[in-house]
Amino acid sequence: MATSKKISLSEEELVSALKRQDTIAIKALYDMYSGALLGVISRIIQQTEVAEDLLQETFVKIWNSSANYDASKGRLFTWMMNVARNLSIDKLRSKDFKNANKNQDIENNVDFIDQQKKVSFNADTLGVKELVTKLKPDLKEVLDMVYFKGYTHVEAAEQLNIPLGTVKTRVRMAIIELRKNFN
Amino acid sequence: MEEVKAYIESGILELYVLGQLSARECNEVEDMANRHPEVRAEITAIELAMEAYALDNAVEPSVDLSDKIFSKIETANASAPAEPKIIPMYEGSNDSKVKRLKYALVACSILLAISLGALFSAHNELNVAKDQILALNTDKDQFAKTVSKLEFDKAGMENRIAMTETSEWTTVKLAGVNKTPAAKMAVYWNKANKNVVINYAAMDLPKADTGHEYQLWALVDGKPISLGVFNENSAEAVKQMETIQKAQAFAVTIEPTGGSVNPTMEKMVVMGAVSI
Repeated sequence: MATSKKISLSEEELVSALKRQDTIAIKALYDMYSGALLGVISRIIQQTEVAEDLLQETFVKIWNSSANYDASKGRLFTWMMNVARNLSIDKLRSKDFKNANKNQDIENNVDFIDQQKKVSFNADTLGVKELVTKLKPDLKEVLDMVYFKGYTHVEAAEQLNIPLGTVKTRVRMAIIELRKNFN
Repeated sequence: MEEVKAYIESGILELYVLGQLSARECNEVEDMANRHPEVRAEITAIELAMEAYALDNAVEPSVDLSDKIFSKIETANASAPAEPKIIPMYEGSNDSKVKRLKYALVACSILLAISLGALFSAHNELNVAKDQILALNTDKDQFAKTVSKLEFDKAGMENRIAMTETSEWTTVKLAGVNKTPAAKMAVYWNKANKNVVINYAAMDLPKADTGHEYQLWALVDGKPISLGVFNENSAEAVKQMETIQKAQAFAVTIEPTGGSVNPTMEKMVVMGAVSI
């Protein structure tokens, strides 16, 4: 697939192909969004192998649960991103994952760090990284927790010991900063 | 409008896009989005920002991952059809059979109920009939008793009439003594052959208890001679006693069952002299 021409479809075409279980949908989605989704997953689960397993799971789930996606409620990517995030957070909190992490040996750690660096120095993301870094520390902290670390906003409020309303405001402020950059 | 602005600024839409809201809160947001285009536009703007952000933070997966995913989805597709086939527990033909059996069961139940009702009413009627039969039987017994009593009386009466109509028979009337003033009886004595006959229809004696019966005596020249015993439970209305050639009087005493050799004088109930 990597060598063949990348498929790109409009949002509407993607949705209707997915809904009628046409495999072209999954191929197009993979070409268009696999990197973005793996980016989201990798923020939560750092181990490449586990993250890629989760990406596989994410696509299988997108395929099998396409009936649950309601285009009137939001964009397809938002739905897919939340599928990926939820699977990753479930994994992060699962018992076997926690145990495996405790027993991580040095060799794996080296790998792990290398991969982290590879991600960190991904040329494509450099700009955003800088942007996120440029965010005020209190905004960055909340966005990191809610978006990257898999905290719920309630948990983030408890962890940071700030009111729920403040968490909401800070998430909004952080995303507004991002919007200034992307929209 | 202020309300919508405040809603947008509350930060709830960001949490909605980040999948942080409960199902109830999601419905609220969707409701607001449907009613206010500004809310919808804001959500889309947030979504696009997050999408662009994610695309910019993309991490390229390993080259072989795509093939793994496609083959997994294709095999899952081939092995698991989208629509699970529903196989009925019974074939269609059996369905109608089951239906018919259901109707039959209902019909049987109704029949059973009716039968039980009929049985119950029949049982009641049978009881009524039994009672009636019992009553009729009692009546019948009563009638039979009455009839046999009447026949018994009639035989006695006929005999009495026959006796009085011929000149052959002498009627000796026995009357009660001091202790038994109401008692009376008739003894019929044939002048020709000297037969002695008593008639229950012409008899009114004090009751003898069990263990005692009546004994008829003839007084011949001052001596009592037994003419036999009799009691109330006679099948015949007329009873033939011993014959006697001559007698001046007849008397009845109450004696122990079987009779006595000599009369117990104080137990004499009736007595009458022969008038010829």
